Amino acid sequence: MKGLVRKHGWSLGLGLLFLLLLAVTRLIQPTFGASGFESLARAALPFAFATAGMAIVVIVGGIDLSVASMMAVAAVLAAVLMERIAGVPALFIVLAAGLVMGLVNGALIVLTRVPDIVVTLAMLFVWEGVALLILETPGGAASDWLEAGIRGFFPVEGIPQALLIIVVAIGAVWLPVRRSKLGLSIYATGSDERAAFRSGVAVGRTKIAAYGLCGLFCAMGGLSLAALTGIGEPVPGPYLLASVAAVVLGGVVLGGGRGGLLGPIIAVFILRIIRTILTLMAVDPNVTTIIEGTIMVAVVMLGTWLTMRGARR
Amino acid sequence: MKKLLTGAAALAMAVSLAPAGFAGGHKSYTIGVSNTVQGNGWREQMICAMRAQALVEGDVTNLIVAHRNTDSAGQLEDLNNLIEAGVDAIVLNPSNPDALNSALEAAMAQDIVVVAVDAGVTAEGAYILSNNQEEYAYLGAKWLFEQLGGSGDVVYMRGIAGVSADTDRDNGFKRALAEYPDINVVHEVFTGWQQDQGKQQMFDFLATGIPFDGVWTSGIDNVIVDAFVESGAPLVPIVGADNAGFVQYLSEVDGLQGAAVTNPGSVGGAGIALAVDILNGEAPESATVLVDPVLWENTTEAGRATIEAAQNPNLDPEWPVSVTIPGWTDYSMEEIIACEGPGDS
Repeated sequence: MKGLVRKHGWSLGLGLLFLLLLAVTRLIQPTFGASGFESLARAALPFAFATAGMAIVVIVGGIDLSVASMMAVAAVLAAVLMERIAGVPALFIVLAAGLVMGLVNGALIVLTRVPDIVVTLAMLFVWEGVALLILETPGGAASDWLEAGIRGFFPVEGIPQALLIIVVAIGAVWLPVRRSKLGLSIYATGSDERAAFRSGVAVGRTKIAAYGLCGLFCAMGGLSLAALTGIGEPVPGPYLLASVAAVVLGGVVLGGGRGGLLGPIIAVFILRIIRTILTLMAVDPNVTTIIEGTIMVAVVMLGTWLTMRGARR
Repeated sequence: MKKLLTGAAALAMAVSLAPAGFAGGHKSYTIGVSNTVQGNGWREQMICAMRAQALVEGDVTNLIVAHRNTDSAGQLEDLNNLIEAGVDAIVLNPSNPDALNSALEAAMAQDIVVVAVDAGVTAEGAYILSNNQEEYAYLGAKWLFEQLGGSGDVVYMRGIAGVSADTDRDNGFKRALAEYPDINVVHEVFTGWQQDQGKQQMFDFLATGIPFDGVWTSGIDNVIVDAFVESGAPLVPIVGADNAGFVQYLSEVDGLQGAAVTNPGSVGGAGIALAVDILNGEAPESATVLVDPVLWENTTEAGRATIEAAQNPNLDPEWPVSVTIPGWTDYSMEEIIACEGPGDS
């Protein structure tokens, strides 16, 4: 029990913070209940997938600035395909496209030896252009079942379907990876690339795989955008900086090797509910972003301080 | 650890047992606003007009503004948050006509009045209020044709092909053209609503030496005046929009005869007024309401006085110059410049 608490201390702390913020929300708006939580989970969907992808590449020691653009490609691809062919094959084509985009990012980084931040910055523009080539103006149509699939509760009232999708989709991809040799290689590469290489880890392949996983999650993010809006929008949304913020707040060390996906996902919900609270309180919109940023820095500082104090004992 | 968990549980219980908020009395409306472009002069004027109008509407006690740069998914999040906040009406500038229907339908299912301003939404039951773009073009074109004495050659500088505002304006222009059979369009171009592009197009056309008597522009206006002045060509009557730069030229450039047609961002204030009317049971007959523009010209004494009065040194230079809409908005120029809504202090 004690070991578990120590291992997941950061996530546990974030979970408590989220419950506290839920309580604050109820205090401000007593009618905030299951339906409010449901729309919160729906709003968190694209952010959660972008954050999961970003967390994996940060753990492997990189960063992917093209997440929002890959999501835009996936969203327009989904909207265009689903208008023309059946939804299920379209879904798998989009997921495959996401995986390929991620693998391309990773391969370019490993093969050219150009820093991650430069390659993915360039790919940000490339994928943005691809999205515009697929669909010049917002349009297309997502399948009805996809739109309906993220709404409501399942299996019981109180658990939003969107939350279930986040947990199942990310869990189904990440847990097997985490427990396999690849997972170990990802953490080893992120914490010390040279040491990992000397221990026999195929560093290059590990990186490419990590970027591939990021692309896969971005495809899921794009699908959730199509599901939310019912159409595809070729212009990337605000998911790049939001995902970096959630990754940092979620306890993943920028630089790699440490952290998991649970913390960042909870962090996504924290950042979403802060916006809900600020809207409920009718805070001046020009001030909200300042508050959001301040809270983030404060939480990370407090967490680091607590961790350091704990380590000294 | 255990202590912490107990504490959190106690807090959660205390919160759920807290008394429900005081119920709002009759006619104390809360209105939510959603907008997805921040930092653009037209949109900022729209937001300030919404605040100012909400302040002068006696029945509005609270205005919640969700105003940031985001995509349609972000606007959906904001709309859902506004629904959670228990607003009586939502006034929004939609990012896309189709993408927001899920939240707008959820809002209307809870009897929340939905008013889209500036652009339309396809959700059934939503009210749409926007500037009448056909009338915008008709008004300016008619003034220009009258100025030319009903006969002459004009240059027709449009916006972007295929955009609904441009199509509507083209219909209005053609309507005026039909009324003046001796007016002839010698040159028709799309400026793309780009300043530099429009200016270059005018330079190019002036260089051809083809004579013409007037210019109608779809809002790329002050750079057209610049093109005349810089190439030394004699000025002809020019029609533009109520952009600060052009309106200033109308009162300052020697020999310029021109007219500015209003395309105000204060249509947002009209949206708030419409939402309050609907809440008070005075819904308009049609779900689509068009706001008619007005024309300011500098060829008569009265026109020059109007332009003079509209210019206010405190006005943001990025804003359209017309800050009020006759028949719709009730606030003063000071109130929209202050940009304060109910609840702000």
